[in-house]
Amino acid sequence: MTRKEETMDRERFVALLDAYGADFRRWPAEARAAAAAFAAQNADVEALLAEARGLDAVLGLVRDQGAPSGELTARILSRIPRTQRPAFDRRALFALAACAVFGVVLGYGGGLLAPTPTEDDVYFSMAFEAPSAFEDEG
Amino acid sequence: MIDPDEDLVRSAGAGDARAAEALVRRHLTKMVGVARRMLNDGAEAEDVAQEVFLRVWREAPRWKPGQAKFETWMHRVALNLCYDRLRRRREKTDPDAGVMVADSRPLASDEWLARQRAAKVQGALAALPERQRAAIALVHFDEMSNIAAAEILGISVEALESLLSRGRRALKAALADVAHDLMGGAERAP
Repeated sequence: MTRKEETMDRERFVALLDAYGADFRRWPAEARAAAAAFAAQNADVEALLAEARGLDAVLGLVRDQGAPSGELTARILSRIPRTQRPAFDRRALFALAACAVFGVVLGYGGGLLAPTPTEDDVYFSMAFEAPSAFEDEG
Repeated sequence: MIDPDEDLVRSAGAGDARAAEALVRRHLTKMVGVARRMLNDGAEAEDVAQEVFLRVWREAPRWKPGQAKFETWMHRVALNLCYDRLRRRREKTDPDAGVMVADSRPLASDEWLARQRAAKVQGALAALPERQRAAIALVHFDEMSNIAAAEILGISVEALESLLSRGRRALKAALADVAHDLMGGAERAP
């Protein structure tokens, strides 16, 4: 959407200067270009602009107020409610699902690839199943 | 209308502490700033900012995007809290409320002068009617667009421009000497 550029005459220029000061960046977006052009073509408004710049500079003396105290930030952060159910992260859900699928595939594929147990395997599994009762006695 | 806070507010409302923290990091300085401009009192301004965020935590789960920008709503809450405090001050008629006490420690002359000037500017801002002060805080210091500022104050752009003009005119009269010094007159001072 394009903005409708404002037409500028002296009365409107002075009204906007009174309201927004000498920095055209604070002016309504649709009036900035017309204001700059008007000022360039009308040298007599320079005195008005200089006066407005003076007030802007004065207000600039109290522009920087410093950052809020760390104590305030900590106090506010400590009051963030944590009793509500946390929002479930969709990425975490996706990762969980992917892990589940991978696990199923791995388990199934592993089952297919694994050799069928031989008699030796069965023997060894029986052999290391539990300590022998004879060992306890020994 | 695109609200840059929409996702964060939704997540914070669902209990996401990181989103809530991001909202604090993004908006706390502005909330404290506008409250300081309105109240001329750092401690009270921090109390207001804290209250704004407590309301954010309370309201975020019910936030409906598309009606107003979240930042606009926060500014409205902050300003209303400031108006309440200013009203209570008037009722108490405490002459010292909101008055910055000058630091009595010895300072280098330049620093002393800068502080004196800043105190004078703060005093002139504090003396403005509340709505004019709010308009100047939003447009001049927070550099909000005229449309956003008018929306926060619940007025038309024309009414906002009227508040700004009257406010600047009063400041110009109150601070003429400071402006004169700043713009070159100080060089002639002893």
